[in-house]
Amino acid sequence: MLKFENVTYTYPGGETVLNGLSFEICAGECVGLIGANGVGKSTLMKAALGLVSARGTITVGENGNPSEAGNAVSKALVMNAENLPAIRRMLGYLLQDSDSQMFMPTVLEDMIFGPMNYGMPRAEAEKKADEVLERLGLQYLKTRQNHRMSGGEKRMAAIAVLLAMEPSMLLMDEPSASLDPKNRRKLIRLLKELPGTKLISSHDLDMVLETCERVLILKDGQIVADGPAGEILRNQTLLEENDLELPFCLQIQG
Amino acid sequence: MNKLEKARLEVREMDDLAAGNSPVHGMTPLSKLFVTVLYIVTVVSFHKYDITGLFAAVLIPFIGYQIASVPVRTCFRKLRHVLPLVAFVGLLNPLFDKSIQMVIGNVRVSGGVLSMLTLMMKGVFCLMASFLLAATTSIEEICAGLRKLHVPKILTSLLLLTFRYVGLLLSEAADMTEAYSLRAPGQKGVRVEAWGSFLGQLLLRSMDRAEELYNSMLLRGYNGEFYYAKKREYGRYSWPAALITAACTVLMRFVNVPAWISHVIGGF
Ligand SMILES: Nc1ncnc2c1ncn2[C@@H]1O[C@H](COP(=O)(O)OP(=O)(O)OP(=O)(O)O)[C@@H](O)[C@H]1O
Ligand SMILES: [Mg+2]
Repeated sequence: MLKFENVTYTYPGGETVLNGLSFEICAGECVGLIGANGVGKSTLMKAALGLVSARGTITVGENGNPSEAGNAVSKALVMNAENLPAIRRMLGYLLQDSDSQMFMPTVLEDMIFGPMNYGMPRAEAEKKADEVLERLGLQYLKTRQNHRMSGGEKRMAAIAVLLAMEPSMLLMDEPSASLDPKNRRKLIRLLKELPGTKLISSHDLDMVLETCERVLILKDGQIVADGPAGEILRNQTLLEENDLELPFCLQIQG
Repeated sequence: MNKLEKARLEVREMDDLAAGNSPVHGMTPLSKLFVTVLYIVTVVSFHKYDITGLFAAVLIPFIGYQIASVPVRTCFRKLRHVLPLVAFVGLLNPLFDKSIQMVIGNVRVSGGVLSMLTLMMKGVFCLMASFLLAATTSIEEICAGLRKLHVPKILTSLLLLTFRYVGLLLSEAADMTEAYSLRAPGQKGVRVEAWGSFLGQLLLRSMDRAEELYNSMLLRGYNGEFYYAKKREYGRYSWPAALITAACTVLMRFVNVPAWISHVIGGF
């Protein structure tokens, strides 16, 4: 569960990017966050992680058991300095720029970094990493050095790093950017399979249509539209008002 | 690939070297740190005219390189930009100190020349020793070792981040010079007028990147401890080997080995 109440954020010496914004994502929901370049999608995610300190109330809750969506929330934490580590433990954040996501020499070392910091023994963390790589069909990247990968490979590796942490909620910033069609397909399949709450920011509206049940449109620091993905992504007027377009698959159908 | 790009890859190469598997790699980071620091202190303490004694001091890192199977060549290749600086520190000494200190055949060597040579040698030997430590120990291992000694988290984190920051700075610089040269064909390097804005931009960009990376570390539970540092099976021989090396180093400081050898040989 993720709840923003009247959240405002202004970059130091810059414009106001989030302006009294409110919304709530329930446990188990998969929500798409769309909007033109520079409306503040990445900033919104950073606020949820406490990477930028926004005014207003942000609440992050953990679902008792992610596989039983709809369960009572067992833990709901309000963003403050004291709760920050626990909140960050719950959230898995995929950065828009994979280069900033990975900092260890190899993919494997990056994957076990998080789990080991949270007290998992090395052997277990490595086993976990193996499972995730297997699942994503990325074993060939395991010992690869982070600076010797292509853009798309880095992206997939960053996703693997994220999953190795077993977060109870995923925040993904442009997950499909720079992926080839096969890996994009793989990502979509993965997003559909994974339980847990997901917030996905993307310009790939076809992917949003396939994976998300609900869509938020961000503009001028506010959520200007909130509804079922099937409705919002078919509403051409609404999309065009927000400098967006119909997803390709709907354009072809006419 | 431009020069900076190469430099960046070289920084990363240190990680490759540190992943090796030799008896030197297998020593505990602290024992290696101890020997290295002791070696540097000892070498620096040699008298400025004691050039023959100093000669013998090169043996210790040299043997270390052989055991670690790190080519000495690699060290000089990687440190080629720093070495000239070290070599130049004593360059003016011959002008100031003209007293004759040594006569080889009929060449009279002044104190200035001697002290210049010893200063250069000291610099090079210390670099060799530090490089050996860096090439056989990952930065995480060193930080983890320091944490064991209760060095404050803030210092070890700083060390780690500085190490990573150098790589980052180089990689940003490489990207930027590449972008620059694409739009300024026929220019060699960056034009002088553009240096100011180039450097400013470089600093801002690399600081942003560094902050983002640090944030990613925090998001994955980094709290200043190095739980994730690769735990090798460190050899039991670490401290004995370290102490023996240390003893040899100290011995070399007080016994002029080349003189002693020639004395023994000459004695027969
Ligand atoms: N570090 C910063 N300092 C000042 N302003 C910033 C900073 N980062 C972003 N901004 C500004 O905040 C606004 C929102 O940026 P943000 O990165 O959140 O947009 P976005 O919706 O993610 O865009 P995109 O679709 O291009 O990724 C932009 O107008 C940008 O100029
Ligand atoms: Mg963005």
